[in-house]
Amino acid sequence: MLAFLRKNQVSLSACFCLLLSIYILIAAARGQLKNEPLGALLMWIMRPLQTASQGAVNWITNFRENYDTLAGFRSENERLRQRIQNLEIERQKLLEAEATNRQLKQLLDFRSHLIPPGAITATIIANSAASWFQSCQIDKGSADGVRKGMAVVTPLGVVGQVVAVTPGAAKVLLLTDPNSGIDVLVQRTRSRGIVSGSLENGIVLKYMKRSEDVQEGDRLITSGMDGVFPKGLMVGTVIKVLKQHLGLFQFVEVLPAVQTPRIENVLVVTAEGGAVKN
Amino acid sequence: MRLFLLFFLAAIFVLLLQTTLLHLLPISPVVPDLTLVLCVYLGLYHPTVGAALGAFLLGYSTDIVSSRIIGLNAFAMSLVFLTVYLSSRAIWLQNPLVSSLVVLLASLVKGAALVLVSAIFVSIEGFWIGAGWYIIREALLAALLAPVVFALLRRGENYVDRFRAPAQ
Repeated sequence: MLAFLRKNQVSLSACFCLLLSIYILIAAARGQLKNEPLGALLMWIMRPLQTASQGAVNWITNFRENYDTLAGFRSENERLRQRIQNLEIERQKLLEAEATNRQLKQLLDFRSHLIPPGAITATIIANSAASWFQSCQIDKGSADGVRKGMAVVTPLGVVGQVVAVTPGAAKVLLLTDPNSGIDVLVQRTRSRGIVSGSLENGIVLKYMKRSEDVQEGDRLITSGMDGVFPKGLMVGTVIKVLKQHLGLFQFVEVLPAVQTPRIENVLVVTAEGGAVKN
Repeated sequence: MRLFLLFFLAAIFVLLLQTTLLHLLPISPVVPDLTLVLCVYLGLYHPTVGAALGAFLLGYSTDIVSSRIIGLNAFAMSLVFLTVYLSSRAIWLQNPLVSSLVVLLASLVKGAALVLVSAIFVSIEGFWIGAGWYIIREALLAALLAPVVFALLRRGENYVDRFRAPAQ
């Protein structure tokens, strides 16, 4: 018996690790894995290294962007001039719309737009180590008031949701991860759906009936119904709508409002179910 | 002990690269899976109980910094280690091309294990649709980088041996 164990000790220990992984998986899937001392220790070791490394990454990214900017300066300048003109026209329209909107709101005593009482500013210090999972780490943790389930946003829109917290850092599941799901509204028609990541198509709008009116260019905003994200935050823009011959739903591909690799700072919303003031 | 330290530092360095600098490569969202290459190296050249535990911890660490459900990568890495260990007895490993091929196959095993375990424990609708594309690209990338990583690890081991020799 002892000889058998000694002869197959490597295979047996690998099998033990497999069984241990399955046990951990089951515990994690059931939500019973509350404390991870090993995870906290690893994060503690990795955090300063990641912060330093991310500094180098930011420096390289900035250098590359500066180079690109200089290289395309002339054409960019022309394009920006044109853009300013267009924006000026758009601004006039928006000012007019805003004035009308304000009057209507006063008339109806409509008070749905609230600012969440608090938000924590955090810096992204690392991205996901595996291609399968779209997540990132931020430099604020439970010691700063960050809790599991909190929404992570930028002024441009939704980034994701906090899924794990250690005292000094937190893991954020990005909108582009297949595990994510956000209740959204099509801004134009107020149709509801769920936006989720997908390995194949970036992010997609799920459960949108064939009869619903969704068009390319439609903007998607958070509905506030999930109790996590404040209402009215930009989620993305519809870039592809496909109605297949069969099936209850149409396929809607979405361009995220926030391109995560390009952002450095985020806000962690500490209050639930608020709304965003325009 | 020194060898343990070498692999521990290698694991931390590889994780650090995967979470930061490698995201600058123009192949996003696929990130080169260097932890897998390290795991295969352990399975091929250091088939010990400690290495089996090391492979498990590599996967667990990847889960800590990436995955929503802890244990997915730990399972996949342990399976890769076991597969590589069991098949290594029948493989001639001196050729870099063969080591690349082993890493390619190991990556395919890991990808398949991830899809299977995700389907059972996470049950994400349509998760497998884009999985094939990921598995193939990750496997090719890992196979491409394997000879370089293997050479660096071997050089590190030689360096450690040079210190160990006078002590003996």
